[in-house]
Amino acid sequence: MLKGKLKFIVAIAVIALTVSYLVYGGVRDTMVYYLTVEELMAQVPAVYDTKVRVSGTVVPGTIIKDTNSALKFQITDGTQNIDVTYEGIIPDIFADDVEAVVEGVYAKNDVFEADTLLAKCPTKYESTDSLYENKETSD
Amino acid sequence: MVETGSISIFLAFIISIYVLVASIYGARTRKWDFVRSAENGAIAVFVLLVIATIALVHSLINLDFSLKYVALNTSTDLATIYRITSLWAGQAGSLLLWCLVLSVYTAIVVLQSRNKDRQLMPYVLATLATVSIFFIFVIAFIESPFEKLPFIPKEGRGLNPILQNAYMAIHPLTLYVGYVGVTVPFAFGMGALLSGKLGDEWIRYSRKWALVAWTFLGIGLLLGARWAYLELGWGGYWAWDPVENAAFMPWLAATAFIHSVMIQEKRGMLKKWNMSLIILTFFLAIFGTFITRSGIISSVHSFAQSDIGPLFLGFIAFILLFSFGMFLYRINDLETENSFESILSRESAFIFNNLLFLGAAFAVFLGTIFPILSEAVTGSKILVGSPYFNRVNVPIALVLIFLMGVGPLISWRKASFKNLVKNFLIPILLGILTVIVLLALGMKDVKALIAFALCAFVTGTVFTEFFRGTRVRMKRGENFLMAFMRLVSRNKRRYGGYIVHIGIVLIVIGVTASSVFVTEKQATLNKGESMELRGYTLRFDGLEQYTTDAKNATVANLTLFEDGREIDTITPEKNIYKYEGNREINQETEVALRSTYKDDLYIILSGFNEDGSATIRAMINPMVNWIWIGGLVLLLGAVITIWPSGTKSRQKAFVRYTVSEKDTTVKAS
Repeated sequence: MLKGKLKFIVAIAVIALTVSYLVYGGVRDTMVYYLTVEELMAQVPAVYDTKVRVSGTVVPGTIIKDTNSALKFQITDGTQNIDVTYEGIIPDIFADDVEAVVEGVYAKNDVFEADTLLAKCPTKYESTDSLYENKETSD
Repeated sequence: MVETGSISIFLAFIISIYVLVASIYGARTRKWDFVRSAENGAIAVFVLLVIATIALVHSLINLDFSLKYVALNTSTDLATIYRITSLWAGQAGSLLLWCLVLSVYTAIVVLQSRNKDRQLMPYVLATLATVSIFFIFVIAFIESPFEKLPFIPKEGRGLNPILQNAYMAIHPLTLYVGYVGVTVPFAFGMGALLSGKLGDEWIRYSRKWALVAWTFLGIGLLLGARWAYLELGWGGYWAWDPVENAAFMPWLAATAFIHSVMIQEKRGMLKKWNMSLIILTFFLAIFGTFITRSGIISSVHSFAQSDIGPLFLGFIAFILLFSFGMFLYRINDLETENSFESILSRESAFIFNNLLFLGAAFAVFLGTIFPILSEAVTGSKILVGSPYFNRVNVPIALVLIFLMGVGPLISWRKASFKNLVKNFLIPILLGILTVIVLLALGMKDVKALIAFALCAFVTGTVFTEFFRGTRVRMKRGENFLMAFMRLVSRNKRRYGGYIVHIGIVLIVIGVTASSVFVTEKQATLNKGESMELRGYTLRFDGLEQYTTDAKNATVANLTLFEDGREIDTITPEKNIYKYEGNREINQETEVALRSTYKDDLYIILSGFNEDGSATIRAMINPMVNWIWIGGLVLLLGAVITIWPSGTKSRQKAFVRYTVSEKDTTVKAS
């Protein structure tokens, strides 16, 4: 039978090890590289078929929404574009020019097959730019 | 009004500095008049911040677009209630609210304990003043809510439509009251360290205030979850988003704290641990505010991005260094009075509870800052998403639920085998019975089985406690109801705590059922066509459009059948907001929700076509309602626990056991 103190040390060590293992395993199995479009293109072909997350601006006019098939659009970093297909819930703010974050795999046919689509408000959230537009109409 | 507002903030800043200086000077030189004037100063700060807030709300209601804050967050088509809630829609307003809430807490602390604990209180006040100086400095000089625009726009930019929701009106407020509330128990801890009064006073006050903050944080998180569920339209309520984690981490640390203080109260142990925990909790609360406010970690709902980040980091560094510095300085005064005797005891159940809560907080913290860490270390940004958080936290949560059942019934110091059998036989049998019944019903998911069995186990232990307590009273001739009511009202802390546990059990049941057993289906339907979904049939009866002042709405009319019987009509909507100002978001998907205790039918109109067909996404989320009901039970339990006792003498009547090796008789101190 273990002595009192030793038992505590063992129990605490077991908890600490278990939590650490859960963290380690969790990170190892679920980690995803977060890339820009440029970084993604730089890693072709090594990046094919690995799960990555890519952010870029939605290219205006490229969104094809057809209720019967996947959503198609392009995202860009300003110089390079990639094609994206996605099936699932489309966020309300998803539109031309918003910053989209897609998670999925970049397939060998050079189409990004996303299983997650997030859209972020333009970063100028607290900017006053749009107010100036109202100013012109106010006089 | 605008000038009044900015002058009030400036004055509040100056007076806060005075409060800090006067309270410390008064305490050190024992000139109590100075302490008294510092206390009055704290009240003055409260009054001034109320005036500033009223001034801003007044400007918001009257749409004074000359103010940048008003122009950015409101518009002429906004209903009055949402003009008021715009107070916390943007950065500067939220920070003003932070200051206001802190000043309310400070005023309550001052009024409650004016003539008590004269050594301790001035330092508590000084700590509160230091925190308010920082936040008032930010709104006075960096992010002023009263900043003017160089011109007056005719129209404001408007409030994001997803923020125009009743839950959004109260969820951030509740969360803020929780975040800021953590400052108070921290201030008592710091007050104890600074004054050297490390006895029982600080822990008693800290515990009570930590409970208040904990309750608001918890309810705020649940309200946020409910908002996300109703408004964001992806069918879930929790996504491990950095902003959610930001509030979850201090909640976890505070949970550890409110449990471990009991060990200090009852047995004079874990003093250093408790002090570290409350410092950590405060750090996490400020860190959470920092994450939410600075936009440093990209989140889908970080509503503000600004350059106050470095300032916050500086403040966090100061807090951590100063408080742990003080902690080391006083470390010898935080000696424990007892030692752990057996691993099978309530003390050790609490220790493991604390380790696990901190483990969970650490895992969440790591996951939240992982992109920043990995970028710093390896140069590339690496994310961990929901799978990471679930994998780590689900096992931890299961063990914690187990301990939640064990803790209340296991004896202090050392549990005997007889004690274990007597207390745990029925709850364990209940857990096993649950597994058998669920297996018989065809449930196969192992995690869900374990979770439900543990929930039954915990419920068993709690009911055993209520039953025993009531029976003892009934033997004295009280009837059942009276015995039960008196049992709770005479032991508010204990039985309130049990009610909180029941609330947690209900939440766990809801979370387990709704995350393991979701049914989801999407279909494009023409008028008259139907889709089937686990016993339910949805018939699409066509699209309809209507217009209000604010929006153009498209409605899908659906009829719901259960087992062939018509039971309801369901109308998910897609809205286009007319107002041009809401440029970022002008579309809004209005979820149709049919909620019962058994399951939620969650219907989204994902799209519609020219030919009148519609794409419907339907989900069945079982037992989601249990989460919200659990929240109400939790709130009830917390209120009972916090409710002040009628008689003062009872407060001091808790018993501290001091046991030495030779002498095993129990002494009450």
